[in-house]
Amino acid sequence: MEFHRETRPVPQLPFITSSEGVVYNDSIDHGVTEAPYEHRFSPYDFNGGTTIAISGKDFAIVAADTRLSSGYEILSRNVSKLHEVTTKCVLGSAGCKTDVDQLRSVLDIQGKVYQHNHRKQMATPSVAQMLSNTLYQRRLFPYYAFNVLGGLDQHGKGAVYSYDAIGSFERSSYSATGSGQAYMIPLLDNVIGHRNRMDIEAELGAEEIVEIVKDAFVTAGERDIYTGDSVEIKIITK
Amino acid sequence: MSILEYNGAAMIAMAGKNCVGIASDRRLGMQAQTVSCNFQKVFPMGDKLHVGLAGLASDVQTVHQLLEYRLNLYELNEEREMSPQVFSTLLSNVLYSKRFSPYFIEPIVAGLDKDNKPFLSGSDLIGATVIADDFVVAGTCTGNLHGMCETLYKPDMGPDQLFETLAQSLLAATDRDALSGWGGIVHIITAEGIVTRELKGRMD
Repeated sequence: MEFHRETRPVPQLPFITSSEGVVYNDSIDHGVTEAPYEHRFSPYDFNGGTTIAISGKDFAIVAADTRLSSGYEILSRNVSKLHEVTTKCVLGSAGCKTDVDQLRSVLDIQGKVYQHNHRKQMATPSVAQMLSNTLYQRRLFPYYAFNVLGGLDQHGKGAVYSYDAIGSFERSSYSATGSGQAYMIPLLDNVIGHRNRMDIEAELGAEEIVEIVKDAFVTAGERDIYTGDSVEIKIITK
Repeated sequence: MSILEYNGAAMIAMAGKNCVGIASDRRLGMQAQTVSCNFQKVFPMGDKLHVGLAGLASDVQTVHQLLEYRLNLYELNEEREMSPQVFSTLLSNVLYSKRFSPYFIEPIVAGLDKDNKPFLSGSDLIGATVIADDFVVAGTCTGNLHGMCETLYKPDMGPDQLFETLAQSLLAATDRDALSGWGGIVHIITAEGIVTRELKGRMD
């Protein structure tokens, strides 16, 4: 009679979560009496960072911090998370750096092919759709990349698109993604989205939005260990 | 699913110039279902001290009763008011005494000491306390709350500006958290007294 016990990953914490709930584990069992350990290779690493994109009437602003980390270590204080896909569109990506780099390569190639075939650059909404399709093609072994796309659409209006790791996307007026998104998004709701406010909504220009972006990164830098060092801000205009 | 996220909560305590404010949401849920929209999570402990308890609702109510009992006993024995610093230490000791079967709460304390100087502290479920001079937050959306408070906070705010800051921070943060919200309540404590205001926000 075969006896198979469900394996679990190596416990990192002093307690184990089982079907009974949280159980305190104060001795190292080595997978003998309790469920066996399984040392698993994880193909993903989280290299941290936060990216943000805000659209205006005829401009878009994309910004990201420049810290690259792995675990508690800082690998670099000056690595860019922003990538110009076309002259009218910038992609900001946080997550696993190697997946981000590969994704950018793939997008560049697809962009070049489009340009050779159509004799013009891809418009931002088309880039947005292409990125979604590219991400979904890897539905069962995803790119660990949290993307935000900012640029000008074919009518010259600011456009921001936000994504999840497997390509679900939405056009909106602002977005933040990465380790510090929780710190920034409520602020953007309040200041850019004008939520829960009774004062008159003023249209914000590019310089004012840049100041808001700087504030947002100072905040995230204070509270999130993966965000900091410096901020790179790209402003896309006609 | 963490037991501290079963009922949902969001609260902030913030210091101003000779005043403190403490705000919380009003939701009580059982995971996805909302059960009450006026659940009390901030309790007065004397006329210049409030304690906010986020976490498992049952423990919120039990610890509140326990703290009230201990505070009353102290004031009967000592024949003087309990200062916020002492209250914060009392809370820490009560929680650590249950180190191996904790109360599942994240408390925050806001008060004015006898010189009307603001006092703020927050602790984890087993009593590790942090004393802050700007703000403390607790609940299921601490990331959102920290982000809002860090950006909007300025030192030495007056009671009215403190109220606006607390209100905007709480509403913006809870609107991005499914487990907290359904209105808000803000108490501003000054030497003159306590002003309590209810917030009208998204009821979802």
